[in-house]
Amino acid sequence: MGKNQPGYFGEFGGRYSPEILTEALEELESTYQKLKKSKKFKKELEFYLQNYVGRPSPLTYAERLTKHWGGARIWLKREDLNHTGAHKINNAIGQALIAKFMGKKRIIAETGAGQHGLATATVGAMFGMETVVYMGAVDVERQNLNAKKIEMLGAKILPVTAGEATLKEATSEAMRDWALNVSTTHYIVGSAIGPHPFPTIVRDLQSIIGKEAKSQFKKQNHKLPHAIVACVGGGSNAIGMFHAFLKDKHVAIYGAEAGGLGPKPGEHSATLTYGKTGFLHGTKTLIIQDEGGQIVPAHSVSAGLDYPGVGPEHAFLSQTKRVDYRMVTDEQALDSFLEVTRIEGIIPALETAHAFHVAREVAKDLGKKKDLIICLSGRGDKDVTEVLRLLGERSK
Amino acid sequence: MSKIKDLFNSGKFKSAFIPYFTLGDPNYNDSIEFGKTILDNGADILELGIPFSDPVADGPVIQRAVARSLKNKFSFDEIFRVTKEIHLHKQETPLVYLTYFNPIYHCGIQTFLDRAKEAGVVGLVIPDLPFDTKESETLFHELRKRDMDLIHLVTPASTKKRIESLKKTSTGFIYYVTSFGVTGERREFSVDLKERIRFLKDTIQLPICAGFGISTPEQANQIAGYADGIIIGSAIQRVIEENGQNSPKTKDVLADYISKIRASIT
Repeated sequence: MGKNQPGYFGEFGGRYSPEILTEALEELESTYQKLKKSKKFKKELEFYLQNYVGRPSPLTYAERLTKHWGGARIWLKREDLNHTGAHKINNAIGQALIAKFMGKKRIIAETGAGQHGLATATVGAMFGMETVVYMGAVDVERQNLNAKKIEMLGAKILPVTAGEATLKEATSEAMRDWALNVSTTHYIVGSAIGPHPFPTIVRDLQSIIGKEAKSQFKKQNHKLPHAIVACVGGGSNAIGMFHAFLKDKHVAIYGAEAGGLGPKPGEHSATLTYGKTGFLHGTKTLIIQDEGGQIVPAHSVSAGLDYPGVGPEHAFLSQTKRVDYRMVTDEQALDSFLEVTRIEGIIPALETAHAFHVAREVAKDLGKKKDLIICLSGRGDKDVTEVLRLLGERSK
Repeated sequence: MSKIKDLFNSGKFKSAFIPYFTLGDPNYNDSIEFGKTILDNGADILELGIPFSDPVADGPVIQRAVARSLKNKFSFDEIFRVTKEIHLHKQETPLVYLTYFNPIYHCGIQTFLDRAKEAGVVGLVIPDLPFDTKESETLFHELRKRDMDLIHLVTPASTKKRIESLKKTSTGFIYYVTSFGVTGERREFSVDLKERIRFLKDTIQLPICAGFGISTPEQANQIAGYADGIIIGSAIQRVIEENGQNSPKTKDVLADYISKIRASIT
């Protein structure tokens, strides 16, 4: 594999994983290339997306938020209305089908906020596959409702206690499981990260978000929006939203990453702002690391953004400046969470709340009569307990 | 000619013993003592682990060793200082580093290799750097310039085609991963281990050393019947973990274990 070969986005991407996984990754790549062209696969995927996930998800005009912010017209791409409550199901369904076509009976996943774990447990139940979900022990605690749902669906949760006991460690542990069980198991990577072909597969499966948003907006307004916004941890909802618009140069694209508590190492997950080029979990990308090349633990109020790396395509889009990535602090995200809930009657995920903060800034800059679409990547039911706890701390 | 090639050509042993331990566990100065003890009791090549925060190819024992090591402040200065001390203790024993690619890349490939060579290191094993990447090619050429080796891993899942194509950029020896999964002690090995190692030997004209899962003298003896070398990591790291910091006991247990393994494969 070389710089200009598939799997690279500029200098980022590639396949930097233990040798034991190479054969499985090559098999996955060739299967996926075939399935992409297969009418049967496409039909089956479409069937489940329509009849199980509930696609297309609506594009909602947010009238109250538009008035409240006093700038551009706000539109919401409603991934929160998908079955299981987030965009993660688009990818989980697609990859479970790929696993089925490959004859694999067991699926595993890593999860931070629990949304990808929940989506994987759901498709595992539906397709009757043995499912194991790796989740950091800290995340099992702060996303307890999702952890309970995952178990209720019949999947096994394996809490990971190493290191910071969050998404990074869960990802490492899932990779180790895959290395041991590679012949029987498919690893459903949950974000646009990991060794090639995962970032491409996840992007393709999530790109339905942007495709739908584009055609829905065009149908209603006979033009393209002026700007789009999504939150970025690993970046799967964002790349899914962005992809259909990347070539439309006049559409401004914004990503919101977790600025956490502040700029000090260990206090944030702002990879695109503070990261340096490196190698983590099988891919070359931007990573938050120290002077010894050790990965620095990330922090975010949202478990789903709490990852010190980022999908390689985002690293590339940041380098080429096609996307403007901005940081949002925990406090700002929490404020946006409450604002959107009260003004629009939609409880967004804490991850998505980061996108709302950037959207508010962008809406003001754009001014009236312009249009802005926000990818509402998931709903915030899972975050209610944590938000109440944070509000309790704030009032002290 | 590389030091490793010389060693395997020397006919000094039937099968080489290649122990591994993580530098900095529990601290850098103790690592020097552990390294010396291992060298004195029969290592033919010594593999030194440079800790990395996210060792995806390693099992729980080595993960814990890395975590203990990283409780000390990680610095390349310390890594190279300790390596040099170990090297000076017994200069004829080749030292190789096992680490993940990110620290090397972050240090800068040229700087890293110059300093590693200066500290006495003659080869590298990098579990997350596949041979068919641009970075691996660069590294290979830089290593050749310095008479150092790039030791590739081959696994039970590696296809014949892949094995054929890694020949071009492989030197020193082949690190044959005996089983699926990560590092760690195991009771059984895959049934076709012997055949796979034979096939590798016939395909790649390099010594084939087996690692991942070996811990007892009996296992070492059995595998040494058909492999050119035995690599042991987790079992050694467990001795360090169980016996604590630089106690005379740790060194005694290490010495005893290393000499037993060495004797079992002679």
